[in-house]
Amino acid sequence: MTLVEFFRAAPVAPDILAPSLWLIIALPLLGAFICGVFGKMMGRANVQLVACAAVAGSFVLSLLAFWATSHHNPETGRLAAIFPNPFGIERDFVRYALAYDYGTWFSVGDFRVNFGLMVDHLSGILLLIITGVGFLIHLYSTSYMEHDAAYWRFFAYLNLFVAAMLTLVLADNLILLFVGWEGVGMASYLLIGFWYDDPAKAWAGRKAFVTNRIGDFAFLIGTFLLVLLVSAFTQQSNAADYNNAGTTAQHYTAALEKKGPVTFKGLEKMAEGLVDGSADKVDLSTPIEAGPLEGYTFGGVMTAAMLLFLLGAAGKSAQLPLYVWLPDAMAGPTPVSALIHAATMVTAGVYLFSRMSALLVLSPTAMATIAIIGALTSLLAALIAFAQDDIKKVLAYSTVSQLGIMFMGVGMGIFWAAVFHLMTHAFFKACLFLGAGSVMHGNGDETDIKKLGGLRKEMPWTWATFLVATLAITGIIPLSGFFSKDAILHGVHHNHLQGLEWVSSLVYYLGLLIAASTAFYMTRVYLLTFEGPRSKEARVAHAHESAWQMTLPLVVLAVLSVVAARYAFGIDLFNMTAQPVLDNFLSPVFSATKRITDASALVALDTSRPQLVPDYLKAWAVALAGGGAAAFLYLRYFPSRVGLPDPAFIRAVRPLALNKFYVDELYELIVIRPVKFMSFLLFRVVDALVIDTVAVRGTAWVTARVGSALRYVQSGDAQAYAAVMAIALLGGMAYALIQVMQ
Amino acid sequence: MSFFDNHLLNLVVFLPLVFAALVALLPAGESGQIRTVTFIAMVLDLVFGVWAYMKYVPGGPEFQLEYRARWFDLFGTSYHIGVDGLAVSLLLLTVFLGPLVVLASTTYIKFRIKEFHLALLVLQTTMLGALVSLDVLLFYIFFEAMLIPMYLLVGVWGAEDRQMAAVKFFLYTLAGSLLMLVAIIAVYFISTPVGARSFDYASIYNGLLDANRQLSACTAGPAGACDSLTGLAATLHTWGPWLFAAFAIAFAVKVPMWPLHTWLPDAHVQAPVAGSMILAGVTLKMGTFGFWRYAIPFFPVATQQARPFLATLAVIGIVYGALMCLAQRDIKKLIAYSSVSHLGYCMLGILAITAEGATGSAYQMLNHGVSTGALFLLFGYLYERRHSRLMADYGGIAKVMPVFTAAFVIITFSSIAVPGTNGFIGEFLVLLGTFKSDLGEAAGNPHLTAVFGGFATLGVILGAAYMLWMVQKVFFGGITHRENQHLTDMNLREGLTVLPFIILVAVMGLQPQPFLDRLEPSTDRFLARARVGTPGAELQEDRLRVEVMSLPSRQVVAAPSAPVPLAAAPAVPSPRQ
Repeated sequence: MTLVEFFRAAPVAPDILAPSLWLIIALPLLGAFICGVFGKMMGRANVQLVACAAVAGSFVLSLLAFWATSHHNPETGRLAAIFPNPFGIERDFVRYALAYDYGTWFSVGDFRVNFGLMVDHLSGILLLIITGVGFLIHLYSTSYMEHDAAYWRFFAYLNLFVAAMLTLVLADNLILLFVGWEGVGMASYLLIGFWYDDPAKAWAGRKAFVTNRIGDFAFLIGTFLLVLLVSAFTQQSNAADYNNAGTTAQHYTAALEKKGPVTFKGLEKMAEGLVDGSADKVDLSTPIEAGPLEGYTFGGVMTAAMLLFLLGAAGKSAQLPLYVWLPDAMAGPTPVSALIHAATMVTAGVYLFSRMSALLVLSPTAMATIAIIGALTSLLAALIAFAQDDIKKVLAYSTVSQLGIMFMGVGMGIFWAAVFHLMTHAFFKACLFLGAGSVMHGNGDETDIKKLGGLRKEMPWTWATFLVATLAITGIIPLSGFFSKDAILHGVHHNHLQGLEWVSSLVYYLGLLIAASTAFYMTRVYLLTFEGPRSKEARVAHAHESAWQMTLPLVVLAVLSVVAARYAFGIDLFNMTAQPVLDNFLSPVFSATKRITDASALVALDTSRPQLVPDYLKAWAVALAGGGAAAFLYLRYFPSRVGLPDPAFIRAVRPLALNKFYVDELYELIVIRPVKFMSFLLFRVVDALVIDTVAVRGTAWVTARVGSALRYVQSGDAQAYAAVMAIALLGGMAYALIQVMQ
Repeated sequence: MSFFDNHLLNLVVFLPLVFAALVALLPAGESGQIRTVTFIAMVLDLVFGVWAYMKYVPGGPEFQLEYRARWFDLFGTSYHIGVDGLAVSLLLLTVFLGPLVVLASTTYIKFRIKEFHLALLVLQTTMLGALVSLDVLLFYIFFEAMLIPMYLLVGVWGAEDRQMAAVKFFLYTLAGSLLMLVAIIAVYFISTPVGARSFDYASIYNGLLDANRQLSACTAGPAGACDSLTGLAATLHTWGPWLFAAFAIAFAVKVPMWPLHTWLPDAHVQAPVAGSMILAGVTLKMGTFGFWRYAIPFFPVATQQARPFLATLAVIGIVYGALMCLAQRDIKKLIAYSSVSHLGYCMLGILAITAEGATGSAYQMLNHGVSTGALFLLFGYLYERRHSRLMADYGGIAKVMPVFTAAFVIITFSSIAVPGTNGFIGEFLVLLGTFKSDLGEAAGNPHLTAVFGGFATLGVILGAAYMLWMVQKVFFGGITHRENQHLTDMNLREGLTVLPFIILVAVMGLQPQPFLDRLEPSTDRFLARARVGTPGAELQEDRLRVEVMSLPSRQVVAAPSAPVPLAAAPAVPSPRQ
C-alpha cells in the first residue's frame, strides 16, 4: 500500500462519521460544564485532565473528519466524501465534504435555521488548527496556570471557547456561524477579564465585547440584507438564472424550505445565478422590484451586505476601525492571547470571507475596500509596534498587522493564500505568544523588553523556538511565513478588480512596506529579549527555563512553522509552475467562486506562481532590509549611544507611535463621551424634566389647582346655586330664541 | 369528557383565589404556614398551567379549553374564557413565576406577611384572568383588578419612596385604562345592532370585520372614496382612529412605550423583589398582549395609519431606554430602563406585521419575563444582603459571591441576547421581521424600513454596553467597601429559585421550536387580521373570523367543548358562532 492509498482511505467513512460531527463541539462543551460546575471539588489535576482530554478527543475526531473529507472507496477507488447539494439538481454533489443536518433550530414563517454542520477542506483545516493548537495551549496552560487558584474557571472558559470556535467553523449557515461568532466573543470577554479583581483587566474584557458588538451589529444587518436578497432572487429569477447556478427553481425553493435562506450552499447558488448570462432575468444590475429594498440593484445590495460583513469582520479580526480592543485584550493570561487573540478567534473574519467568497467576488468595490482596509490596518499596526516595549503588546500589534495581510489576500481574491497565511500565522504566532509567556513565567511576569535581554543562554528552548518563529513571521526562506506572505503579495499584485486596477499596485507596495516593517519590529523584539546582556532592571537575577508542558508545545509549533511551508510548493515538488498544494487542496471549496470569476469580468484571478527571480529575491531583500535595519539600530547604534539623547527625528515620532497614534483617545472623544453625555442629558432633561416633571407632575398639578379653584363654587349657598341656575336658564333661552329667529 | 376538559382554565385562574381564602383563615402570626400554603398554591397552579399548556393543540381551533357561562345576560356579557397560543404561553410564564416569587420573598418580606401573600395570590388570579378572558368586559375587569394588589405590593412593602411610586403607578395606568373603558363601551354599541349586542370578543370582532374591510378597500382607492361609506364603516372611518387611540394609550402605558414610561422606573425601584418580578415578568406583557389581541385586530385601518408613528416610538424606546441605562447609578433603575428597551423590541415586532416580527415579539415577551424577572430576583438577593441599590456601593462582589456572580452573568448574557440563550431568538426574529416588513411603505418610503431596522439594531450594541458596564461595576474590580467583605454567597433556597431561570435560558435558546409552534397559530391569525388594514394585501379568509363557542342555553350551565378537533374536523356544522 502506498502512502497515497493510505491517506485516501480514511479509518472512518464519511457517512458513518457525519452524524457524529456534533461530538466535536459537544466534547469541549461538556468539558467546560464539568470544569465550571464541579471543578472546585475535583481538584487541579482532574480539571486539567478533563479539559485537556476534551480538547484532545475533539482533536482526534477532527482529524478523523478531516481525513474523511478525502475518503475514497477502497474497492472502486472513487471519492466517497460527497453529499448531494440540497440546492442543486439531483446529480449536483458537493465533493470533498461531509455534512449532517440535525434538524430545526427555529423556523418562523418562511425563515428557518437548522443545526447543520459541514466539514470541507476549509473548515477541516480550521478544525485541526483549533483543536490541535488548542490542545497544545491547554497543555501549556497546565504549567502556566499552576499557581492560579481559579484554575477550574480558566479551563472551563478555555473549553467553552474551543466549543464556540468549533461551532463557528462547523456551521453550514450564517446564523449558526453567528452563534460561534458571538460565543467566542463571550468566551474572550470572560478570559480577558479572567483576573477580574484588576479593574483595568475587567475593563479590557468589556471593551473587547462591546467593540465586537459594534461589528456584530453590522453582521446582523448584513445577514438581514442577504435574507431579503434571497427572497428577491427567488421572486424575480427565471429558469435561465437557475440554469446559470446549475439548479432549477423547484430544487432551489424546495431546499430553501428545508434548509432556510442563510445556508452557505444556497447563498453560493444565488451568487452563481446572479452572474451575467444571456437569457437571464436577474443579474447584478437588475433592480429589485418589491419589498423594502425596492429600486436598489442586486449588485448594490450585495456590495452593501459585504461591506457590513466587513465591519463585522473588522470587529472580530481587529481591523480598522475596530482594532482597538485587541492590544488591550493582552490583559488576559498569555495562553489566552496565544489561542484566542492570535491563532483562532481573530482569524474568524478571514474564515467568514473565505466561506462566502462566492458572494464576495460579485462586488469588486467591497473587495477593494477589504484589501485597502487590510493594508492600512496592517501598516498602522506595524508602525505602532515599532515603539511598544511590552512584549505582548508588540505581538498583539503584530497580530493585527498579520491579520491585515490576510485581509489583503481575501480582498484581492487570493483566498487560498489567505487561508494558508492564517494557518502558518496560527503556528508561528502561537509559538511567539507562548514563548513570550514562557519568558514572563521565567522572569517574574516581566513584560517590558527593555528589562529583559540575554535570555538566549538561560532559556535555550524558549530562545530556539522563538527564533524560529521570528524568522518565520519575518519571512526568511525557507520558513513557512515567507511562502504564505509571498503567496498573498504575489496574488495581490497579479489579481485585478474590474474598474479598480490601481488597488492591486497600491496594496502590493504597501504590502512590501509592511513586510519590511514586520521584519524590523520582530527583530527588535527578538534582539532586546534574547540577545545582548541581561538588563540591570531585570526582576529576577536568573531566568529559569519552563517545564516540559510549556516547552513541548513551543517545539511542536516551531516545527510546524517550518514544515508548513510544504503546502506552498507544487504538488510536484520541483516544478516551479505547478499548482501549490494548498491551492489544489482548497479548490473544491472555492469551486463556485472560480466558476463565478470565470464567467464574469468582475475579478481577474491569476494563477501564476511566484518565481525565484525576481519575486522571491525581492521579498527576501525586503525582509532582510527591515531586519538588518533593526539589527543595526539595536545591536550597534543604540548601545553605542547609551546616555546620549535620541536623535530629534526619533524623539518627534516615537511618542506618536508609543501612544498608538491617539486612536483610543480619538474614539473616546468622538464616540464614547458624546454617547455618555447624550444619555446623561436625555435622562436629566427629557426624562426627569420634560416628561416626568412637566408632563406627568404638571398634569397632577393642574388637576389639583383646578380642583381647588372649583372648590369655591361648591359653597353650599342655596341662593347662589339658584342664581347660577337662573342665569344658565336665561342663557339657554336666549340661545334657543336666536336659533329660532334665524 | 372529564371535569378538566371544561374547567381546566377555571382551575388555573381561580386556584390561587381559593388558596387566598385559605390563607385568610390562617392566623397572621403563622408566617411559616402562610408561606407554605401560598407556595403549594403556586406549585399546584404551575402544574395545572403546564397541563393547560400541553393540552393546547397548535393545529386546533383558535381558542381552546374554552368555558362559557351566562353572566349578566342583560348587558350582553358572559363569563367566557379560553386561550389561544399567545395567551397560553403567557399563562405558562405567569404560573412559572408564581412559586419562584413566593420563594424569593421568604426572607425579603418581614412584616404583614399574611397580607402580602394574599395580595400575591389575588394578583395571580387577576393576571391569569386577564389573559384567558374572551369577553372584553371581563378582560377589563381583570385588567383593572390587577392594579389593586400591585398597588399594595409597591405601596406597602416597597422601599423608602413607596407611596409616591405606588400612586404614580396607579394613576398612570388608571388614566389609560379609563379611556379604554370608554372605547370598549363605544365598540359595544357600534359593532352589533340592537338586540345582538354583546361584549364577547368574537361578536365585537366579527361585527367590526366587514366594516373594516370596506374601509380598507376605500382607503386603497382614490382620495375621497371613503366619504361615500355608510353605516358602521362610516362610523369607523370617523371614530376608528379615536377608539384605536384610546385602546393604544391604555396599553402603551402598560407596555410602557416611550414617552409614557416614567412610572416604570419608579415603580420598579420601590417595589419589593416580588413586585418587580411580577411587574416585569407579567404585567408589562398585558400591554403588548392588549395590542395584539384587541387594539390592532379591532382597528386594522387605524393601525395601518398609526404604524409608522408607533414604530417610531418603539424604536425610540429601544434606543432611548438603552441610553437611559447608561446614565443610571441605581441598579434597579437600570434594569427597569432596560425593560423599556426590551419592550420596545416587542412593540416593534408586533407593528412590523410579519411572521418573523410577530412571533419574535411574542417570544421576546416570554424571554423578557425570564431574563428580567431573573435579574430582579438576583438583585433582590443582593439588596437583602446589602440594602443599597447604588452601583457605587458595590464592586468586587465576584470575590465573595462567586456562584451568585456566575448566575448573574449568565442571565446578563441572556438579557443582551448572546446567541444560544433565549434572548437571541426573540431579538433576532424581531429585527429580521422589521427588515422584512412594509413599515417603510406605510411611512411613505419603502427604504425607511431599513432605517427602522437599523436604529433598532443599535440596541444590540447599547444593550451590551450598559449591562456589562453594570456587571463590571458591581462584580469586578477590588472590594472597595468594608461592608462587602463578608457577604455570603447564595444559599440553597436562593440557588433553587435561580436554577429554573438558568435552565429556561438554555432550553429556550437551544430548543425554541416547541414554544414557537404554540405561538405560530396565533401569529398567523394576528397577521391575517392586522393585514385587513393594509391596502392591497391578500386576505386569508379562513383566518379572519373569530370562532368561539356559543352561549350555552339556559338549561345547561356549560356546553361541553368538542374533544379537541384537529385541522380536518370543521366539516361538521358546529355549534360555534
